[in-house]
Amino acid sequence: MTPGGLLGIAGIGLTAGILGAFKAPRLWLAATLTGAAAAFAAAVWALATGPVWDWQPGFVIGGEALHLRLDGLSAFFLLLLSVLGGAGTLYAAEYWADRDHPVSAPSARAWWNGLLLSMGGVLLCANGLHFLIGWEIFTVCAYFLITTERQRPAARAAGWLYLAASHVAMVCLFAFFALLAARTGGWELGPMGDRPGLAPLFWLALVGFGLKAGLFPLHIWLPSAHANAPSHVSAILSGMAIKLGIYGLVRFTGWLPVPDSAGWVVALLGVVSAVLGVAFALGQHDLKRLLAYHSVENIGIILIGLGFAMIAAAQGQAAWGRLALAGALLHIWNHGLFKALLFLGAGSVVHATGTREMSRLGGLWRALPWTASLFALAATAIAGLPPLNGFVSEWLVYLGLFDAVSAHGTAAYAAIPAAVALGLTGALALACFVKVCGVVFLGLPRTPISRHVHECGWRMRLPMLGLGAACVAIGLAPVLFWPALVSAADAWQPGWVDDASSTPLATLGSFHLALAGLVILAAVLLWRRVKQNGIRRAGTWDCGYAAPAPRMQYTAGSFAGIITGWFDWILRPVRHAHLPKDNFPARADFAEHTPETVLERVIEPAGSLVQRLSLAVRRLQDGRVQAYILYLLLGLAALAILAVMGGPR
Amino acid sequence: MIAVLELFLRLAAWLLLAPLLPGIINRVKSWVAGRRGPPVLQLYYDLARLWRKGIVLSTAVSPAHIAGPALAWVALVGAALLLPVGQAGATLSFRGDALLFVYLLAFARFCLALAALDTGSAFAGMGVAREVSYAVLAEAAIITALLTLCVQSNSVSLVTMLAPSAGAGAALLAAGLFGVLLAENCRVPFDDPNTHLELTMIHEAMVLDHSGPPLAAILHGAALKLLLFAVLLTEAVLPLGKLSLLPALAALAGSVLLVAVIAGLVESLMARLAFRRVPLLLTTAFVLCVFALLVAWKGGMP
Amino acid sequence: MSGAMNLLIGLAMGFSLVALASSRLPSVIRAAAFQGMILGVLPLLLEAKFHWLVVAVAIGTITVKGFVIPSLLRRALRAANIDREVEPLLGFVPSLLLGAAATVGAAALATVLPLRPEHARSLLVPGAFATVVCGFILLIARTKAISQVCGYLMLENGIYLFGLLLINSTPLLVEAGILLDLTVAVFVIGIIVDRIQREFDTLDTRKLNSLRE
Repeated sequence: MTPGGLLGIAGIGLTAGILGAFKAPRLWLAATLTGAAAAFAAAVWALATGPVWDWQPGFVIGGEALHLRLDGLSAFFLLLLSVLGGAGTLYAAEYWADRDHPVSAPSARAWWNGLLLSMGGVLLCANGLHFLIGWEIFTVCAYFLITTERQRPAARAAGWLYLAASHVAMVCLFAFFALLAARTGGWELGPMGDRPGLAPLFWLALVGFGLKAGLFPLHIWLPSAHANAPSHVSAILSGMAIKLGIYGLVRFTGWLPVPDSAGWVVALLGVVSAVLGVAFALGQHDLKRLLAYHSVENIGIILIGLGFAMIAAAQGQAAWGRLALAGALLHIWNHGLFKALLFLGAGSVVHATGTREMSRLGGLWRALPWTASLFALAATAIAGLPPLNGFVSEWLVYLGLFDAVSAHGTAAYAAIPAAVALGLTGALALACFVKVCGVVFLGLPRTPISRHVHECGWRMRLPMLGLGAACVAIGLAPVLFWPALVSAADAWQPGWVDDASSTPLATLGSFHLALAGLVILAAVLLWRRVKQNGIRRAGTWDCGYAAPAPRMQYTAGSFAGIITGWFDWILRPVRHAHLPKDNFPARADFAEHTPETVLERVIEPAGSLVQRLSLAVRRLQDGRVQAYILYLLLGLAALAILAVMGGPR
Repeated sequence: MIAVLELFLRLAAWLLLAPLLPGIINRVKSWVAGRRGPPVLQLYYDLARLWRKGIVLSTAVSPAHIAGPALAWVALVGAALLLPVGQAGATLSFRGDALLFVYLLAFARFCLALAALDTGSAFAGMGVAREVSYAVLAEAAIITALLTLCVQSNSVSLVTMLAPSAGAGAALLAAGLFGVLLAENCRVPFDDPNTHLELTMIHEAMVLDHSGPPLAAILHGAALKLLLFAVLLTEAVLPLGKLSLLPALAALAGSVLLVAVIAGLVESLMARLAFRRVPLLLTTAFVLCVFALLVAWKGGMP
Repeated sequence: MSGAMNLLIGLAMGFSLVALASSRLPSVIRAAAFQGMILGVLPLLLEAKFHWLVVAVAIGTITVKGFVIPSLLRRALRAANIDREVEPLLGFVPSLLLGAAATVGAAALATVLPLRPEHARSLLVPGAFATVVCGFILLIARTKAISQVCGYLMLENGIYLFGLLLINSTPLLVEAGILLDLTVAVFVIGIIVDRIQREFDTLDTRKLNSLRE
């Protein structure tokens, strides 16, 4: 079967799903899963066999002939989309079932399919106009999914913020594509590396796609949108939707010429996003908000890789550039997989307990053993620890940076701080996920809500198991996935990334395999030894404290306190404290909240300034004819002065 | 066959020699204080005793409480296999193993931290929070140290990175790595391994609720980590690559011993720092590594 | 010769960072004094042949910077009877990182500048820049008058390093003049410290704000 046929099946399946979403949930499930499976097969076909699938049927939409293309890069993203889409579909069937959400569930299913279809469309379009149309539909579908729980004000606010930010991005993209079309004479997209005049357009693309990707100063919409959407939506937003921003950047930096400073700027934005993203994550108490900030961090890691690949491309340094590029590409997959798993796990926690507030949870491993262990797996992966997939991609980026340093070129001046920042990011992410796993799943329940909870059913568990298996597979056998990276990288810079022999990925994989085996063996052996020696059960010793209570455990805030203290200058946490006084203090409390600093300290003041200015200007319009005549006269006078001043040229 | 034999010999050497270092440090401390002190082999006795002992499990704990120490121990052993021993090379060496080494140590930290939080003890939370926070600064320093070695040797493989001497910046690098060694292994002035005040503990607060064989795994892992850092420090600074096999091994052993003695002296002569001063000292270690990098970079310029 | 000199300059740069990271006034004073003494030795290494004037200036510098000024400062400290903690406007860790960044930046700057070949591999220029910047950081980021004086001292040390570049063309008398200025300045500040202490019961220079009217 050709990819065209498979993609056709995928399109038909997803469309049929929209029709079945309202009346026939089972049909919706079957059709959507079939569609995802077909898309998966098409993507694998394209990645494995190589030739670009190009389809120009001669239909005209909006005055432009339809043109679909599936090359290595599109297929690379399409594969991730189909995996996450399929996982989210199955998950949603239980998580957002008609039984619990009779009003919102059908429409959520329909918008879900719309989202998958439009994202797939964006990946396939080879025409700028259709790209924009697909992009806009995708934005709107995502808006309706974020506001699934419209009755909650927080969800509505998050939706509005998302919509506003997306439309700022849309304006930039519209300008980008329109200027591109004006300069090239057509909306058709393709490699245009031989037209250096197009380079300045890169900045428009960077803002437009960067807003969608959520890189640091442009991430303002991301935390609230991801936190307030249903978890399967958060998973696809974080795993795939923000990756479309990355897709845009990778696509158009590959096709168009870029300014000389582009790579440096992208790398700098990557470093800033990585370090500050994780710093903000540490300050959060809301489980899903915290995960959302980790998306900013991981986008940063991807951009570090991409930025250095761009620098290398500009300097003709394929030797280390391809490692950075391969790391960035692999991290796109990896982040999609483990972040989706984390959000699905968080969804399972929210489903069971009804709260996202970490400090109200605790000891959930007993009630949710599957969720807890899969969440821990994904946490290990996102912290970039061997032997899982997160380490493999970070390691490739590191190799690129270290090789850039040992090449002693100008790139080394950027690679040294970037490598240190990557190390910092890794250690901070580790601290953050120790906090999450420890506070949510380990210890004792902090409040009664986490005592009477139940594990999710198989339809929620199966997608999580699948994603976890994918994380393990990429970690243990990274070399199997190298051909996919090669064909994606070929679309960016042909012939740059060659066979896997340039990296010792096979050796790393076998080390990981051995490590994983030994780790399990050692755990089993130690457990047997412990059982053989005899186990006594007792309360937690805690240095002999007589009456330990669950509320004495470290909370999310106290755990992260040391590190958030270092980042006070940017986090600007709001603290309310009534400290204990005298010898017998009556009552003391402490609350801390980390706001979205960029939004609340920069964007909102700027917005209210604009509003005040506009109000002032509005006074000009007071409805008196005399005033309007005065304005006319003043305007004429100003024109006259301009004419006189500019006259004698 | 020979390869397997060699692997076992190396493993045995790493695992058997590791508990010696804390014994030496304790011996130095008691010598400075004018006491007789515990035997050098005390940790071996302790480990053997713990391995035979029963275990008291908190009612709160999950399987992670037992699995954590096992995972951490395996990760540390894996790191030991990556580290070259003088001229004898490493068991496994490939491009980029230096980063794997660092991240294996991080993995061990992650597992121990989760195993500690498992008990729901307030002190464990305190210890873990401190451990993972200070490790952030130590990580920056150690990545900078690796960058220094990379600049000198134009390689990302530990075997070639550690072969030449650190050149003019050796003293700076040695001081920086020594600071990281003390911090990562929870020694004075960052932490006091013998403290009896829970509020001031870092590492010890994490393992308060462990007992029996898992505690043995943690203690042995900690000793192994100390040995790893001592060997890394020595090889980064000394030009062992210029010596032949046996003299290099002898020099390595002697210098590791020297590192242990210096750590013991530091522990005897210094008081532990107040917690708010710890980041400053770790930043100093980082800055020292940065200057070592600067010197190496200048030296590498044509 | 240049190896030993670079070592000494490197040590001096280290002492500027020590001063930035110190939390107690006596250790800031000590760091500045050590730095001055190390720099005082430099002319001896720089001059190829023995010259009594150079020796005299070196001894003079070491005495003034290493003993006279620090002892004056310590006396002021004792006389004012203040708390010995440095009160930083900017924390110690950020100050230290800034100082380190300044040092790295100075090294980078020195490679860009068109220096004479005999100075290209020497640490004189980067050392001078780094010391000046660290002196400025100390001046800006600390509140107490004593640490301000130490900042001035480090600033002067940096200028002195620049002066060493020109040791063949300008007489050491210029340096002697600067040193004299500085000694006078330290005296004046000593008196001011005393007055501030009597007036406000503290050495916090932020309190001087209230004198603006």
